Amino acid sequence: MFDYFLQQLIFALAIGAIYGLIALGYTMVYGVMRLINFAHGEFFMLGPYIYTFLFSGLLGLGGLAPVLDSAIAIVASFVIVGLLGVAIERFAYRPLRAYGRLAPMLSALGMSIVLQSAVRVTVGPQPVHFPAIVESTPIDALGGMVTTVQLGILAAAVLLMVGLTLFVNGTRLGIWIRAASESWTTSSLLGIRVNRAVSLVFFIGPGLGAMAGIMYASYYGIMQPTMGSVIGLKAFTAAILGGIGSIPGAMLGGFLLGAIEVFGTAFLPILSFGYIGTEYRDVFAFAVLILVLLFKPAGLLGETVSEETTVAKKDY
Amino acid sequence: MGNSVIVRRLGLLAVLALCVVLLALVPYLPSYYVRVADSILVYIILAVGLNLVVGYAGLLDLGFIAFYAVGAYAYALLASGQFDIHLPFIVVLFIGAAAGAIAGVLLGFPVLKLRGDYLAIVTLSFGEIIRIAINNADDLTNGPQGIAGLDRASLFGLPLTSPVHFYWLLLVLTVIVCAGVYYMERSILGKAWRALREDQDVVRGLGINTTTLKLLAFALSAAIGGAGGVIFGAFQRFVSPESFTFQESLLVVLIIIIGGVGNIVGVIAGAVVLVILPEILHFAAQYRLLIYGVVLVTVIVLRPGGLVSPRFNLGFIIRKVRTLWLSPSKT
Amino acid sequence: MNRTRILLSAATLLFASGAMPVLADDVVLGGSAPMSGAQAEFGQSQIDGAQLYFDQLNEKGGIKGNKVVFRPLDDRADPRQGTLVAQQFCDDSAVIGVIGHMNSGVTMPALDIYSECGMPQVVPATNPELMRMGFKTVVRPVANDFVQGALPAKYVTGKLGLKNAVLVHDKTVFGQGISGVFKDNFEAGGGKVSGTYGTNPEDVDFSALIASIKLENPDVVYMGAGMPQLALFLKQMREQGLKAQFIGPDIGFTVDFITQVGAASAEGALMTFQLPPYDSSPELKDFSDRHQARFGRAPGPYASLGFANAQVMAAAVEKAESLDREGVLAQLHGVTVDTLLGPVAFDENGENTTAPMYLYVVKDGKFELIKQ
Repeated sequence: MFDYFLQQLIFALAIGAIYGLIALGYTMVYGVMRLINFAHGEFFMLGPYIYTFLFSGLLGLGGLAPVLDSAIAIVASFVIVGLLGVAIERFAYRPLRAYGRLAPMLSALGMSIVLQSAVRVTVGPQPVHFPAIVESTPIDALGGMVTTVQLGILAAAVLLMVGLTLFVNGTRLGIWIRAASESWTTSSLLGIRVNRAVSLVFFIGPGLGAMAGIMYASYYGIMQPTMGSVIGLKAFTAAILGGIGSIPGAMLGGFLLGAIEVFGTAFLPILSFGYIGTEYRDVFAFAVLILVLLFKPAGLLGETVSEETTVAKKDY
Repeated sequence: MGNSVIVRRLGLLAVLALCVVLLALVPYLPSYYVRVADSILVYIILAVGLNLVVGYAGLLDLGFIAFYAVGAYAYALLASGQFDIHLPFIVVLFIGAAAGAIAGVLLGFPVLKLRGDYLAIVTLSFGEIIRIAINNADDLTNGPQGIAGLDRASLFGLPLTSPVHFYWLLLVLTVIVCAGVYYMERSILGKAWRALREDQDVVRGLGINTTTLKLLAFALSAAIGGAGGVIFGAFQRFVSPESFTFQESLLVVLIIIIGGVGNIVGVIAGAVVLVILPEILHFAAQYRLLIYGVVLVTVIVLRPGGLVSPRFNLGFIIRKVRTLWLSPSKT
Repeated sequence: MNRTRILLSAATLLFASGAMPVLADDVVLGGSAPMSGAQAEFGQSQIDGAQLYFDQLNEKGGIKGNKVVFRPLDDRADPRQGTLVAQQFCDDSAVIGVIGHMNSGVTMPALDIYSECGMPQVVPATNPELMRMGFKTVVRPVANDFVQGALPAKYVTGKLGLKNAVLVHDKTVFGQGISGVFKDNFEAGGGKVSGTYGTNPEDVDFSALIASIKLENPDVVYMGAGMPQLALFLKQMREQGLKAQFIGPDIGFTVDFITQVGAASAEGALMTFQLPPYDSSPELKDFSDRHQARFGRAPGPYASLGFANAQVMAAAVEKAESLDREGVLAQLHGVTVDTLLGPVAFDENGENTTAPMYLYVVKDGKFELIKQ
């Protein structure tokens, strides 16, 4: 039983790391903009598609070792998706800033539909095989089996989170972002260019999402135009669970959601003597979310100072 | 009274007569158009219901379709061969509305303390929970198979079989719901809701029980949703979880936003546009979603307040008409 | 006023789109499947297959000298949209037959509408319930799920002598239905199903589930789900070292399945499908080549079924005494025609009496036919 538990824990950590990475993007954008960026899942989806395009292009050009091609393609995907995020913010969200919070959210929804449909129309709706970037070799670990890829994902996620926290807390640009998350008016009064902070957040957030997408596609071996919407919702749930606006909260939420899903699948049937099957896994996850929010309305690591500071006074 | 007054009044009557004639002519179109009209009317009812919660009380509910599902399955369970219960349509209509209201209160309780986006995501989860539960409760709901062969609805002895029958039923219901909501909006309750939407804490500070206000909003909007679901079940005579996805919830929200939040006239406009648009675009099936998304973003960016400005609501129209009718002749 | 202008143009376009020019003697046939959204790939392949056959017919002069006009409409896999599509076909007096729909949930409410307007219907959806509802206007050339679930069960209990199975399905009408059929037949053949597990149609990660299944140590895993879930599941199964015999339904019978799982891991997997291999007969090879030429890609998952459905409909129209719905309807049940799927004839319920089903095994990175 311990082996079984350990094995499931490994799976939970792997999935949780990916959820956490995507949740990071959501949380950063929300922290600065108070906007649910429904389109975030689509940046996640675009990552592997753009990577494949660039990678096969670079391979075709020849001249460089495939490993180098791959690395260049990954970095380039990050940059391209990041720039796309900046552009979308500029043209689809910024004009709506004066109109409350509902309008930008729906604009995000529209963008999500546009991005997904654009990919579906150009590449086709069918799932496409995504060759693993790094071959996976299993390693025996205390009775369970963990693969190098899983370790890699975990390491990458932790590194990125640490890096992001350092960036936000240490650098000047990071201070801009934190200031903008606190209060736009005060930040502007202090001479901080809030719009720059916003653009920066919309560069890093979608970029991270794209990285997560490439990792995901490599891990599961597949990419399809719809992969963004399902996982986008889950990652957003993870961000809320951990406390939206908080970077460690996003990672915590990610791991927590991963754990709920994995252990829900593993133990729900056993604990309920077969009454509640594995198909109730998502219901279980949502139920946990509602429970957490009942007792901690701002999420696990969210600020519980007072309701006024967590959300704007007037919603629309 | 001068000539111009008579002319103006005749003009108003003519416009009114035209509207009545147009509405009455719909049944003579081919059944496809009648069905589209039925769809529009159902969505108007749903959107007016959701508008209570989103537009008036300012609480973003992204799982509204759950109440619709409750109503539809209420009809499926109480008027079919599933458990061999065959209650009359009107009875199930009330039961469905009541069931919806109960579900609305159940949803309302946990979300009382939440605001904005947290509220949104929890209501979304609730909608999904209902759908998944329906999909998995095989013994009760037949799971993904759905329940087919629902009873034909009949009202006071008249059987409702064709889309035309439902058109008239829906028209009457739409008018009742819109009128009801309009009067509610103008009542003290409506004012309290509007205050709630502006600033929740001030309302509480004034001594008004915000809990009751919110729960009432949820319950009433959910009741309307449930009633809509019963009609859907009676019309399609088949229910399955596929009809109650998150996309449907989103569609109702879109109707309100595109049309104009908190505005019945806007809701009607939104429903017409959002139901007819995909029908027009069906020639370009693969590009339909892409065009839909582009249109959505464009409309929202260009007219963020909605297609219909909040000033131009039902009250405004009524006042305008009254002024035109009553004012003495102008030179 | 913005709103008025938008509404007016919307109304005009709507009315205009309904009026398409059709020559008096054209044979107009409708078709419907999901052509957009998540199931677009499957629905579109059906439409493509039917379109291919009608194009072929038109090259040879059409039916009784009349051109065949095929009018596909998107039902978005939504039951409500399906009823609107059905009504649209019914209202259009030029349409004398419909091939639709692909999803059982969409077909169910639509059956009522087609029946009411006397529209002859060839239905691709495979849920057995559909033909037992008593509608007289519909036939189904494709084998239903009873046949598809039975074949592999008989094979593994009989030929392979496997005793212990675990079912996985995605909680859809199709997935749950067909794994249920497999279970009945497996148990009838002396096997034991030790567990049934549900997933979601869009799940990608099955690692937790597979770790659970490993505890039961089954010989067989039957999965009632779609693509890419079938491929993802098998891939993860093998990665975790679960060596059970994997069986999947017709949706998995694509080259993508083998590519996504990896040829080594896919070795030995069983898959059912309604057609013999594409190179086993000249008609099939011809079909595959023509499809490639016309659409620039290999036949999609349901292209052959769409083709066969079209053949049945065309045969009924050919024999009809008058080119209208009554005429076609009178011939529909009596149609006997050699289609891509083999010979087709219908029983009193509209089901195909000779519904062939084929079992394939993955060998050396390719699907190989086992037996009938």
